[in-house]
Amino acid sequence: MIGVYHYMTVAAILFAMGTYGVLTRRNAIVIFMCIELMLNSVNLTFIALSRHLHSMDGQIFVFFVMTVAAAEAAVGLALMITFFRNRESIDVDQINMLKW
Amino acid sequence: MEILFFYLVAFVTLVSGLLVIRCQSPVNSALALVNTFFCLAVFYVMLHAPFMAAIQIMVYAGAIMVLILFVIMLLNLGTESRQRYTRGVVWSSIASLLMLIVATVTIKTGQVTGAEGEITAHTVKSVGHTELIGRTMFTEFLLPFEIASILLLVAIVGAVVLAKKEV
Amino acid sequence: MSSTTGSLPTTAPILFEDYLALGIYVGIALFLVAILLLLSWGLGHRTRSRIKNEPYESGVYPTDNARLKGPVPFYLVAIFFILFDIEVIFVASWAVAYDRLGWAGFGQVSFFTLVLLVGLLHLWKTGALDWGPSAARQNRKNQDIP
Repeated sequence: MIGVYHYMTVAAILFAMGTYGVLTRRNAIVIFMCIELMLNSVNLTFIALSRHLHSMDGQIFVFFVMTVAAAEAAVGLALMITFFRNRESIDVDQINMLKW
Repeated sequence: MEILFFYLVAFVTLVSGLLVIRCQSPVNSALALVNTFFCLAVFYVMLHAPFMAAIQIMVYAGAIMVLILFVIMLLNLGTESRQRYTRGVVWSSIASLLMLIVATVTIKTGQVTGAEGEITAHTVKSVGHTELIGRTMFTEFLLPFEIASILLLVAIVGAVVLAKKEV
Repeated sequence: MSSTTGSLPTTAPILFEDYLALGIYVGIALFLVAILLLLSWGLGHRTRSRIKNEPYESGVYPTDNARLKGPVPFYLVAIFFILFDIEVIFVASWAVAYDRLGWAGFGQVSFFTLVLLVGLLHLWKTGALDWGPSAARQNRKNQDIP
């Protein structure tokens, strides 16, 4: 029988992977994708627990997480384009000034 | 049978997650991420949440990944950067490993508590998952729903302000 | 109210029949793709030589990188696609349960749609949906006049 713990363990491993990617990669778009990975692992936890508790609330939360992820994608990638115009690169090690 | 299927899907999910963080080219990472999203959609179906699986594919695998791939193409990002990783690889691995240990120990030893509702798998089957979502969304979660529209409006305006310039 | 068993109390396991149609659909799609690829691989005529592998056979020699940067307006359209895609999933969850939600639900979803409509009008007014060189020239002309 598959328990809620199985799903939560998968989600925990995915989340740790996403953390590792965010902390180590230099390419801003890959970092962005790792953040999406972390958000998705949290979504999996939400849905597994809402199933476990016979409630709908966790799934509604997933809706809002997706909304925030979409807004974040729109604004974050626009920021990357703006940054690329100035620096010709999206290496995060070069994002070290607030203004230029 | 079902547990075997679960382990198969979990294996594919974790391998594609690993590919996302390890691939040299951003395009390969993006495709591995699409694979992860599809596997998570399979999990949602197994958890009796078919509408969630549908919007997972529609929004994440459809829209967000298209945007990410689009930006990769637009900025013409190849594999030109020889240094893929920042300097703190060791500390980052220790940090994420610690996080993994804490999370798994908590999951193993903890207990799930919380207010239980009365929506069982039978209810989902007889009423329909989308309708249950709609009812909950428009009764209990009305204010967050309206705030979400404002958030989307702000995102539209922000994206235009940032991206709309002469190139 | 705590439950410590750890197993999901799913009294109704996933029925194979419920997703049979989806499975058949996916199977047919995969089969079609596989058969098309195999046919074109098996029946096609193959020539491998240096001249054949050039991007423009007996044409001009390409000089620059093959990957061109796409223009930004395409990207803006992709952004708006995402945001209105999110709107679709919210409205769909309302539309399935519209008879139970009544006029109150209709008012709420109308407010949601109106806020996003304001966003669309803003896009239209600022010219984010304008396209091509004619729009750019028009903007430049407007800037030159004052």
